[in-house]
Amino acid sequence: MNIEQDGREPTGGRYPSRFRRSGLKARHLHAHIVVVAWLALALAAATAQQTLPVARWLAIHLFLLGAATTAIVVWSEHFAVALLHARLPDERWSDARLAGVNLAVAGVLIGVWADRPVLTGAACALLVTAVAAHLVVLVRMGRGALGGRLAPVVGFYRAAAVALIVGAALGGLLATGHAGARNYTGLRLAHVHVTLLGWIGLPVLGTLFMLWPTVLGVRMAERTTKVAPWALALTGGGLLTTVVALAAGWRWAAVAGVGLYVAGVGVAVELFARTVRRRSPVSAAAAWMLGAAAGWLLAGTVADGAILAARQPAEAQEGVGSLVPVLLVGFVAQVLIGALTYLLPVVLASGPKERAALRAVLERGWAVRVVTLNAGVALLALPLPDPAGAAGMVSAAAAGAAFLVLTASVLVRGAHRAGEGGSSRRPVLLGTAAGAVLTVLAVLVANSGGDTSGPAVAADAGSGGSSAARTVDVTLSGMRVRPSRIEVTRGTTLRLEVTNKDAQRHDLKVEDGPATPLLARGDDHTLDLGPVTEDREAWCTLPGHRAAGMTLDIVVKGSTGEDADAHDGHASLADSAGLDLSGEFSGGWRPRDADLAPAPGGTVHKAELRAAHTTVEVAPGVRQQMWTFGGTAPGPTLRGKVGDVFEITLVNDDQGMGHGIDFHAGSLAPDRPMRTIQPGERLVYRFRAERAGAWLYHCSTAPMLQHIGNGMYGAVVIDPPGLKQVDREYVLVSSELYLGTPGSTAQVTKMREGTPDAWAFNGVAAQYAKRPLTAKAGERARFWVVAAGPGDGIAFHVVGTVFDTVYKEGAHLLKPDQPGGAQVLDLAPAQGGFVETTFPEPGHYSFVDHDMRHAESGAHGTVEVSE
Amino acid sequence: MDTVGLWSLVRFAHVAGAALWVGGQLALSLVILPLARRMLEPEARDRFTARAGRRFGILTGAVFLPVQLATGWAMAWHKGVTWASLAEPGYGRTLATKLALFVLVMLAAAGHGIAHSKGRTEMARTLAVVSLVGSLGVVLLATALPAT
Ligand SMILES: [Cu+2]
Repeated sequence: MNIEQDGREPTGGRYPSRFRRSGLKARHLHAHIVVVAWLALALAAATAQQTLPVARWLAIHLFLLGAATTAIVVWSEHFAVALLHARLPDERWSDARLAGVNLAVAGVLIGVWADRPVLTGAACALLVTAVAAHLVVLVRMGRGALGGRLAPVVGFYRAAAVALIVGAALGGLLATGHAGARNYTGLRLAHVHVTLLGWIGLPVLGTLFMLWPTVLGVRMAERTTKVAPWALALTGGGLLTTVVALAAGWRWAAVAGVGLYVAGVGVAVELFARTVRRRSPVSAAAAWMLGAAAGWLLAGTVADGAILAARQPAEAQEGVGSLVPVLLVGFVAQVLIGALTYLLPVVLASGPKERAALRAVLERGWAVRVVTLNAGVALLALPLPDPAGAAGMVSAAAAGAAFLVLTASVLVRGAHRAGEGGSSRRPVLLGTAAGAVLTVLAVLVANSGGDTSGPAVAADAGSGGSSAARTVDVTLSGMRVRPSRIEVTRGTTLRLEVTNKDAQRHDLKVEDGPATPLLARGDDHTLDLGPVTEDREAWCTLPGHRAAGMTLDIVVKGSTGEDADAHDGHASLADSAGLDLSGEFSGGWRPRDADLAPAPGGTVHKAELRAAHTTVEVAPGVRQQMWTFGGTAPGPTLRGKVGDVFEITLVNDDQGMGHGIDFHAGSLAPDRPMRTIQPGERLVYRFRAERAGAWLYHCSTAPMLQHIGNGMYGAVVIDPPGLKQVDREYVLVSSELYLGTPGSTAQVTKMREGTPDAWAFNGVAAQYAKRPLTAKAGERARFWVVAAGPGDGIAFHVVGTVFDTVYKEGAHLLKPDQPGGAQVLDLAPAQGGFVETTFPEPGHYSFVDHDMRHAESGAHGTVEVSE
Repeated sequence: MDTVGLWSLVRFAHVAGAALWVGGQLALSLVILPLARRMLEPEARDRFTARAGRRFGILTGAVFLPVQLATGWAMAWHKGVTWASLAEPGYGRTLATKLALFVLVMLAAAGHGIAHSKGRTEMARTLAVVSLVGSLGVVLLATALPAT
């Protein structure tokens, strides 16, 4: 093998000369730019760990799956060619494999981050395919090739490719939730081992057999050809045993497997130690880093075996988990840094002079960096209290970032030289890097969820009137949330005391609400959900955990509990028994105008609706606090033609209560326009009335029973095309009336039981009985009716008339030219329509809800028809 | 609202404007300017790049920027976006981030022009690439927003 045969500096022979071919050089350069980009993103994600629940996962996978995988695919192919004295594989196919790997990695990362299991699964499949192709190339290369003394090293690369295929498959199972709760722990441990010790560990170990003597500047030991296959057999066999045993739950077999792996590493390290000579190495920096990295691999695997031996799998997971950062930084990152320190100058430089210059750049301050990095890893590894771990992370990250900067500058130089015609590539690289960082930061900000410490999104604090509070202990363990279901009465202020009793970390995020930070074993955190008014779900956000079953349902049930908000507004309240509809309205009271004006001109109708508490007289002598749109219940009637646009500005003037609005006449995604706005906020709700009908609008904030029941409803009339003019047009919105303090237990109970105190047209019981509507004999009248509920529909009838026109829910059921007649317009809650009739002669025509319970309790009025 | 109406046109103008602007930048920096550098004499090359840059800058200021601002504002208004809602996680925050990134991209584009006029070629090209990559980020964030 040329590297070592050529002595201290590989200047001649087949392997270095290949680098001189500018195409190959450019490809290596590009690959390293990709590696550096992944590394930079990994660092960014690592710093974002506190804010993003998935960031820890993201940081690890950006590093291992992005940076390390790209480097391994590139270098293992490259070294295999050199070691086997084989022909270069087809360039385009190499590029395609590398692109496939990177695309798959991006897909996996985005899939897990955005919680898209289908994307994750597809990307895993692509990764397996690309790496399988890589494996095929490595195997094929061995056939018919001359084979150098170190040909066995290629075996490490092949085994590693198999390991990544297994690891990707396991990772896919975990991330998409196919692992299931029971197998999760074992499969996750298997995944960690096969990727870290297999995909990363094996090729690194194999490469060290030739890289180590080269970096030291000595001849390769004769024993290497014998030791390398042994090391592969031990590590590969041990890893296979470990992975199978972990997946199957055989603890001691797993320990034995790790033992074999350690033995393999030990054999190699022993050889490396013997290779060290007194001579000063070619690159002291690279030598120290590679040596330290090998040391961390040995220490890490020994600790891993000890942890697996000492603890049950579920607990071992946390222990192994804490080893991951150590191996990640101490072994993988350090090997990467050490190897690149030596190899990048070899790859990029065109002569010994330039190589020395580049190496000088990459080795700048190496002693300090090595010490910082390894001290950081030691702080991470030791079981020290919190600040020590954080300090370790910071110093390791600082060392890594420093190397990144050096590498970037070297790559920029290389790019500068690689460019033809002297045109500088530096601006392109720098610009791309800066633009990419800006974009990644923007995406991080855009995706940052709710504030983890802030209060829950208060759906409608106070509306329930019930201020009952409840605290529930929630434990996370065994991939389950216990209890998995919490039933609360509506409006209950819920607190969750979340404790992680699991060996591995979890968090708990409430849908549209607060989330805990990542909880280690024994950690707890309180989540204040505020008043719960609708069903919510909570789950662990770690990749795959929700899919594996870590969910909690919070279910609103039954009636308002024990306690009621006793504080009374204005209502001087008569109980239902005391409601006297024959009494008189107080002086100054005015009925709600039932006349409906024609649709105003123009195709855009703007209106401002203010949500507020308003006290109004809702029945003779009975004042009641209502929740109103535009100061009245029902709110203003809006009218237009098909195709008109309504632009409604909802302003919440209501102190201490959120409201929203829902126009049935519009068709749009409810998410934004129908959201609840808090006191003082405004919301512009635009919709186009595409279809004719008499439509309901109402408050969209839960509990809607109360918001509608307390008056937050109204009508939108959209004329059917060709609607004929008539002499009189009325609009009547029917509803139930519930007296009492809005939101009080007593009132809400009546709403639940459907026992209103009265029924009303246009919000006030019996108002048109006291102040009749007027018409003339022979006039044609049209009654628009909308049933607002909240619970009851209506059977609208005008005594003494027959309807010749019935239009209900967007269709004419009857037209004047048809022989039939109609007596009732029946509407379920929220339905609407109109009827037409002609008053034959003067007189008093009662109109009623022909459900006589409703009619007698307020849902009646009179049309006074004169000559 | 699934027909071709006024808002489809507004959206079309917004998306088309973004595509043309980013596409123009791409064409300029990946095709036209490299070719000019390779094929023209140094003096002609400098004049050509300066002219091309200025013309694209004028086009941006006179057409693309006004169209993007007007249509973007109109769509936000149509969707009922309020200042307060920009801070909310989800749609609001994504839109706010997109706007912030857009501002940065515009600053980079403006900085490119300034640096170019001062003869700081490397700085100018760096900023041009920042603006290009950043505008792809804007497009990425835009695709994350639900359709108006
Ligand atoms: Cu409301």
